[in-house]
Amino acid sequence: MGRYAGLIMSEVPAVQVNRLVKDFRGPFRGGGIRAVDEVSLSIAPGEVYGLIGPNGSGKSTTMKAVLGLVKPTAGSCAIFGRDSSKVDSRMEVGFLPENPYFYKHLSAAETVSFYGKLCGMRGAALKARVDEMLELVGLEEARHRRLRGFSKGMLQRIGLAQALVQDPRLVVLDEPTAGVDPMGSRQIRDLILDLKGRGITVFLCSHLLEQVQEICDRVGIIHRGKMVNEGDLEDLTSIHDRTEIILQDAPPELLEQIRNLVDQANKGELVSEGHPRSSLESLFLKETIEAESKQKAVSTKQS
Amino acid sequence: MSDRPETSFFSPRRAGIIALSTVTQLVRMKVFYFLAPIALLFVGLQFFDAFWYEGPEASQPQQELMMHKNLCLGTMMLFSSLFAIVSTALLIPGDIEDRTLYTILCKPVPRLDYLVGKLLGVISVIFVAMLVMDILMVVTLNYRTQVVSAELGEYLGAIGWGEEEVRQGQAEVASHGPSLILQYGVLAHFFKASIIAAVALLISTFSTSTLFTIASSVMIWIIGAVQSLAREGLFTKGEYGVEPGMVDRILGTIISLVFPDFQLFESVSDGAARVMEIGMFDMLHLGGLTFFYIAIYTVLSWFVFSDKEF
Repeated sequence: MGRYAGLIMSEVPAVQVNRLVKDFRGPFRGGGIRAVDEVSLSIAPGEVYGLIGPNGSGKSTTMKAVLGLVKPTAGSCAIFGRDSSKVDSRMEVGFLPENPYFYKHLSAAETVSFYGKLCGMRGAALKARVDEMLELVGLEEARHRRLRGFSKGMLQRIGLAQALVQDPRLVVLDEPTAGVDPMGSRQIRDLILDLKGRGITVFLCSHLLEQVQEICDRVGIIHRGKMVNEGDLEDLTSIHDRTEIILQDAPPELLEQIRNLVDQANKGELVSEGHPRSSLESLFLKETIEAESKQKAVSTKQS
Repeated sequence: MSDRPETSFFSPRRAGIIALSTVTQLVRMKVFYFLAPIALLFVGLQFFDAFWYEGPEASQPQQELMMHKNLCLGTMMLFSSLFAIVSTALLIPGDIEDRTLYTILCKPVPRLDYLVGKLLGVISVIFVAMLVMDILMVVTLNYRTQVVSAELGEYLGAIGWGEEEVRQGQAEVASHGPSLILQYGVLAHFFKASIIAAVALLISTFSTSTLFTIASSVMIWIIGAVQSLAREGLFTKGEYGVEPGMVDRILGTIISLVFPDFQLFESVSDGAARVMEIGMFDMLHLGGLTFFYIAIYTVLSWFVFSDKEF
């Protein structure tokens, strides 16, 4: 066990942002802007936290402060109790920037290996970890291909592989599915859920609110540099004075009985009824996957 | 808190990993293709005589070899200096623009490791390129020396000189062929290119564009080449015995502190081409000076880069 063995790990937040302020100076005196204004947040280990807000609201600046890429004007950020401006804190973090670019002259395996070496890994352990990461993101077949020819989705996945190479306890994702097609987006979402299953803390920024809703435990809404709302997703999104009942294969007579019951009770009101809709994303994925399997079946028959 | 070990202030291993990646990047960018025209030039020199070369009957036939050496060393100096500027100027701003730097600095990589790694990578590629050019120069010069020596031997024999005198003449020509002193000249250019790379590294840490970095580095290169002449003018008594003023002195001191003095490196290279006496101590002095300049510029780069926000 290490030098901090005496401390109870679960008590230390994965991310602690304390009254963070970040001002950017303008070219002239007084022309600066306040990008982040007294933002505080705390992410517990193993949690998936989504920071959402419009463009220019201060999401990325908050993230960069957590990663030590910008210096807070006031306040502080810590990762697992370590000041995030210190290099040591980064051993625990994997970061995937928005639209990541990596060295195009390297192959997929070389890229993951490069980042692993930067984290002090070497030898057989590094080789095994590279194989594991490429398998995790589904890029084993492209391991020897240079990144120059990679699609956006593949780059995003290799980005995730490099972020996870040193087995970090916190993964920071800035718009992880930006510019990725629905299929790739679904794969990345599944990977995030997989990370959650392994107990890895995830801190993400995204414009895709539906996706944030699907994967996050807690969200923070940031607007003009200020945290305007924060809490458990369930609490924030559920409408407490409404109740939803979903029935399978209910005959029209049963529905009629329910309507009458509501009328007779004289308490409450039936607001709407109808068939629940699947999302366009689910429909797209269902159709494309079905088409793909049909094509595979035909080609298997022909061969 | 974490039980992971603390990251050291500077890790030669991490810097080495970044240096190796930089070398791979430059090699895969096919920078060594530049060596092909240089090789052609060196080989092509075999087929041309200097316009002032009067053949074996000339009083100093070794002048032909000096022309060969001057051209080769000049080409090496130009290539290595330009390569040092352009490659360094492209690498760091490129990493920032591509956001590759984000992913590197978000790993436990101190910024000093990154800077030193990039610089070492560029210097390593310059070293390999110069080694290849040096081998080419030695091979072609050796061939040329044999040709000139044979021509001289034939000529002196034909006009009735004795065997011993012919041998002496040929030995004089051979002393202008490949030698350790010539290697000192190559080394001086390598040192100079390494300093220029460190200068370009410093500029690229605060520059906003590659063009600015290249233009500023070229300017410093030129100032470095002529600054000793400028200082001579400022510090010494003028033609009419006028003492330099306080402003001149301050200006001269600032120039000598801020800009590297490349005149020393040029002197060693010129001396090597002329087969002048250059001792091991001179080279150690030059190496020490190079280390000093590189260390100063790297520390300055680190100061600027450590506070840089992305």
